[in-house]
Amino acid sequence: MYALLAIGFTMVYGILELINFAHFNVFMIGSFLGLWALEALGLSGQSQVLTGLDLVGALAFAFAVAMLGSGVLGVAIERIALRPLRGIPGTTGMITTIGVSYILFNIILLGAGAESKNYPNPMPPVRWDISGAVVDLREVLIWAITLALMAGLQLFVSRTRLGKAMRATAQDSEAARMMGVDVDRVIVAAFFLGSALAGAAALIFGLYYNYTSFLIGYSAGLRAFTAAVLGGIGSVPGAMVGGVIIGLIETLGGQLIAVRWTDVIIFSILVLVLVFAPTGLFGRASPTKS
Amino acid sequence: MAPGKRVLPSLGDATTARLRTLGVSLLLATAVLFPPLINNDGNVDAAANALSFAALALGLNIVVGFAGLLDLGYAAFFAIGAYTYGALASWQLHPAWSDFWAPFAFLDLVARVRGVGGDVVHFQVSFWLMMPLAAAIAAFFGILFGAPTLRLKGDYLAIVTLGFGEIVPIVARNSPSLTNGAQGLNGVIPPQIFGYSFGVSATPYYYVGLTLVVFLMFASQRFKFSRVGRAWMAIREDEIAAAAMGVNRVKFKLLAFAIGASFAGATGTLYVAKLQTATPEMFMFPVSVMLLVMIVFGGMGNVWGVVVGALILQILQSWFLQDLSGWINALGRLVDVEWLQHVQLASSIELIFGLILVFMMLYRRQGLIPASRRVAALTTEEQTALPTRGGFDNLQGLGALDDSRTGPLLEIKNLTVRFGGLVALHSVSLSMPAHSVLAVIGPNGSGKSTLFNAVTGLVAANEGSIRFAGEEIAGRSPHVVLERGIARTFQNLRLFPNLTVLENVLIGMHARLHAGAVKALLRLPRTQREEHEARERAMEILAVFGNRLIPRVDHVVSSLSYANRRRCEIARALASRPKLLLLDEPTAGMNPAETLELADQIKSLNRRGLSIVLIEHKLDVVVNLAERVIVLDHGEKIAEGTPAEVRQNEEVIRAYLGRSAAFA
Amino acid sequence: MITRRALIVHLPTAALAGSVLSRMTFAADKSVTIGINVPLTGSDAEAATQIKDGAMMAVDEVNGVVAGYKLNIMVLDDGTTTAGQYDPAQAATNARKMVADPNVVAAIGPEMSGSGKAMAPILSQGNLATITPSSTNPDITDPTFAGQFRPGGKAIYFRTVTTDAFQGPNMANHFARTLNVKKVYVLDDGGAYGVGMADAFEAQAKKNGIEVLGHDQLDPRQANYTTILTKIKGLNPDGLYYGGTSLAGIKLVKQSHDILPNIIKAGGDGVYSASLLKGAGHPAMDGWYATIAAPYIAGNPDVAPWIKTFNEKYGIGPSGYSFTAYDAMLVVFDAIKRLAAEGKPVNRDNMRDAIHTASVKTLQGTVSFDENGDIKDRTVSVFQYEYNDKYPVDDVIHQYKYLGVAPQTS
Repeated sequence: MYALLAIGFTMVYGILELINFAHFNVFMIGSFLGLWALEALGLSGQSQVLTGLDLVGALAFAFAVAMLGSGVLGVAIERIALRPLRGIPGTTGMITTIGVSYILFNIILLGAGAESKNYPNPMPPVRWDISGAVVDLREVLIWAITLALMAGLQLFVSRTRLGKAMRATAQDSEAARMMGVDVDRVIVAAFFLGSALAGAAALIFGLYYNYTSFLIGYSAGLRAFTAAVLGGIGSVPGAMVGGVIIGLIETLGGQLIAVRWTDVIIFSILVLVLVFAPTGLFGRASPTKS
Repeated sequence: MAPGKRVLPSLGDATTARLRTLGVSLLLATAVLFPPLINNDGNVDAAANALSFAALALGLNIVVGFAGLLDLGYAAFFAIGAYTYGALASWQLHPAWSDFWAPFAFLDLVARVRGVGGDVVHFQVSFWLMMPLAAAIAAFFGILFGAPTLRLKGDYLAIVTLGFGEIVPIVARNSPSLTNGAQGLNGVIPPQIFGYSFGVSATPYYYVGLTLVVFLMFASQRFKFSRVGRAWMAIREDEIAAAAMGVNRVKFKLLAFAIGASFAGATGTLYVAKLQTATPEMFMFPVSVMLLVMIVFGGMGNVWGVVVGALILQILQSWFLQDLSGWINALGRLVDVEWLQHVQLASSIELIFGLILVFMMLYRRQGLIPASRRVAALTTEEQTALPTRGGFDNLQGLGALDDSRTGPLLEIKNLTVRFGGLVALHSVSLSMPAHSVLAVIGPNGSGKSTLFNAVTGLVAANEGSIRFAGEEIAGRSPHVVLERGIARTFQNLRLFPNLTVLENVLIGMHARLHAGAVKALLRLPRTQREEHEARERAMEILAVFGNRLIPRVDHVVSSLSYANRRRCEIARALASRPKLLLLDEPTAGMNPAETLELADQIKSLNRRGLSIVLIEHKLDVVVNLAERVIVLDHGEKIAEGTPAEVRQNEEVIRAYLGRSAAFA
Repeated sequence: MITRRALIVHLPTAALAGSVLSRMTFAADKSVTIGINVPLTGSDAEAATQIKDGAMMAVDEVNGVVAGYKLNIMVLDDGTTTAGQYDPAQAATNARKMVADPNVVAAIGPEMSGSGKAMAPILSQGNLATITPSSTNPDITDPTFAGQFRPGGKAIYFRTVTTDAFQGPNMANHFARTLNVKKVYVLDDGGAYGVGMADAFEAQAKKNGIEVLGHDQLDPRQANYTTILTKIKGLNPDGLYYGGTSLAGIKLVKQSHDILPNIIKAGGDGVYSASLLKGAGHPAMDGWYATIAAPYIAGNPDVAPWIKTFNEKYGIGPSGYSFTAYDAMLVVFDAIKRLAAEGKPVNRDNMRDAIHTASVKTLQGTVSFDENGDIKDRTVSVFQYEYNDKYPVDDVIHQYKYLGVAPQTS
């Protein structure tokens, strides 16, 4: 799930070379959108369980709302806050995304309140016992959805015209422009896709942990960001791999050292990767001076 | 035209200066009289907090505003300063007493106290001692945290600093033996002066804060208008050009981090002494962001702007918004509108910060009080004046050029430069005697600029040797190369866009001046003299170009015409008193008249003893100026000789024009 | 340039002037100001509001007049968005504000001990008494730290709750003697309150012979506690103790329900909270124990009408600290009344003395303070969550079943 978030983030970076701080709070808003979608369907609390078509329908609706809503939000951010600044070198864009991030964060904080909200869990608590490990239907569904989304993204990027255009722009926007690619459109598409993925990740988060709050952008964001950097910023497969690795590190770190140091560990990894191996595992864009 | 409290005597309008001094004195008087006038300890406390944040903003301004290093974890240094004082002046640490501590007790730094199970050491280091000490410790951490970021681009640098900024409070929280963790330090000792303890009244802290802010502003201004400040701004504007002009990037970046951190360290001491406790939550990311918003809002790089920005935002948060909420609530009661009565604006301060940040970035990036001053436009006379040429004959600024050397000035052997799989230069060799002019020509992409980059150290040489005046310089840092006496201009112009003509040229002199940070701060007469002479030399060099640049000497270079910018870049290179000047297409974009003029000026330079290597496409310039020409194609030297020889060389003609013949 | 700068200078000056002017209160003939300092901004906002409402219940009951004195209530917020919760620096500023205003004769609050630590020295210098309904960190009234927290010498930090010196340890006693727990794992949420609770519990648990398998910290901003919970599961404890508030608590309750369903779980008064119930609820909360640092007030049938009035007025249920805040205000009123009866002026110094010698009948019984300002009654009540579908999910009073008084340390 960090992988999905990391992918969206890395997509935007690949094309714009812009670190988008706001991405993680788009994620947070996505989870609220999903929550409201589910509540609109009448689901709340842990008690109601749906099965079969009802379940699929409810989930599909929630995903649609979360993904579309987040996608639109991402595009809006790009249009309003980032497009006027395109082309200005340096950190101006990133600083603006910090500002946008703050705005989103506080809108939710002031609007929806500081406490965590309970996420409805419409999935039936079916479990399977596979050689000692207990696997929940919930987990299976979530993994399935995540993989499906990633596969869909891969297909899109490699097969469709827009996908190819995106990859081209990521490699060399000047050349792409000269080849007739509408770079503006590509950027909008990247933002939409990336944000929509964040929305999906957010809904998955809410369904899995059964809660959401205004803070989730921060912690998930840190891990997703490190995952993206670790995998090589700008590289989509890298983000996927990075996401898995970070998840592992988080678990192992908690087991072996202590949970309280997890954030420090992850930040340290971030710093170390950036300083010593800035291209990460798969990346091509070098963050050093040219 | 230097704003600030201390006006340089040789510059500036006297009346404006006097008005400024008057204004500042008035402000200072108000600030000093503030506590007794207001007579409300709560408000004085809020003001003291505002001053603390202004001091922090000043520190961040050095790192971000001056040096252009986006530090998102600045609050870490604040924490370090605070906890250092807290640990050494509270009941937090109490190791068992031993004789080791006796001399410290004698100095009254610690006390021997009865504890459970034996005597223990109670740290009570004086606040006045701790403030500079904490500043120094913070500076050390500034270097520590800054070091990994030296090679990183802007946003990655920001992320790494963000990382450190997060790690520090987490470590503080998880080290309860040192910091009492989340519960916060207990019993930090308030400062004492001449036996009088500050206690809990906010007023003495307010005055200390005021003094600190005034001192830090003073220091910032001093730095800004000194060699150190110029070096920082050069790094901010264009790091590569800065290095090529002799600025030791590593040293100055670390210096910026260190000095910036030290401001925070000192402020941390004050803040914690006033609060008498410190918790990790006080130093987390939102504090760093708030400081960033303050300097963006107030004007990055402008000392007054930053302070004003900090004070406005802090007062907004802790004072004005609460009152505004109260008025709105009262209004709500008046008109009986429910939600108005419960509005609490103070909680939306972060939302306001976000909005300010976005708004400022979109519409007014320079902030409230921009760093670059607007200069009076040229008078009509000046604008329509016929350009005159200067002359090189009176030019003192170039300095003596060593005549006694025998042997080639520049000797390159088998130089090979590879970029991944691409071979940009392949086994190129050349030898150039002193005081000559060498032209390098060749089709686009033949490696000419790469040759310059290799010589000046901007690009690493994979194989081969480059000897300058007998010394091997291949692989040395660009600023070292400049120090040795090689200066250059760039094909695509790398001036420092937001700095003035004069500042650009002064940065060229960076390697020949000596004032470091301490000297910049103290500004002893010797340093003042150095600066004065530097300015005079700069003006002389600019006079070479007649009246083209002199009237525009305080204009920001981005407002100059293209040709003037080229001239400015040359002037900047000349300012470093080079022995060898590398000019990369100096006449590109100039019309024939300008080209002719510049060619003449280059010739004069050479006559004065300067050795020159010239990359040029305009072959008439080459023929006019160069004694020898080398031709590069696809990274290899394909011909060498006098202009006449080269002109008729078959290979050369083929390289440029394919199989057709003539070439004029 | 000069014009713009003048504007920039004038704007804050104008704001300053405005604020100063608005502060000049018209001193009525006989009126006193009582400060209420709670973190209305940030993650504790809801609890803070419940405290403020509890105190205001008392004010409304007497229509704002006590013994002929008009009551001005000065509500101060010590939460800031920068901190995201209570902010000791803001608390200190608020304390200074109150001390600087001669009309303020007493104060209610703070909610959090972190603020209390910053405020106590300042209040002590100003000899301004404050009664806190919820700050439970024992250090502030501990005579060992008197030099730090009451440099003025006299007690000014009074409490209508008892301290964590008793809350955590008494629960440890309950674990040992009543619940027969042999092995326990301790968690806290990294905050000042939580760490204090967890540490005090752990110390007493060890003294009681319970084996403490470990003590780790949860990050309230994190979502996933399964790592630590799985680790705990591997260690096989009988019980889990959590010191902290609902921010981390909600996630802990939910996830431990999945991973550690059958062990005994308990927390302090941070768990006895409406937001926790709303966030976690049934079935995750089933079986959780909680303590509060006060006697069980809500179970008293005499209090029912009070609760009903509270619900109607404020739309939410009272928290455990709404009662103690109300009690605190009653103590203040009692002090005013006594001073008026004795003909003494109602000023800060007299109020402090009067409060210190108070013996007032309140919702929780008779409240009086010891020499340090702590409440004399050291009762810690123990509850267990039992889902009651007749009442709203976040109704603390009805969802928690009162078990009794936690055993004191003998």
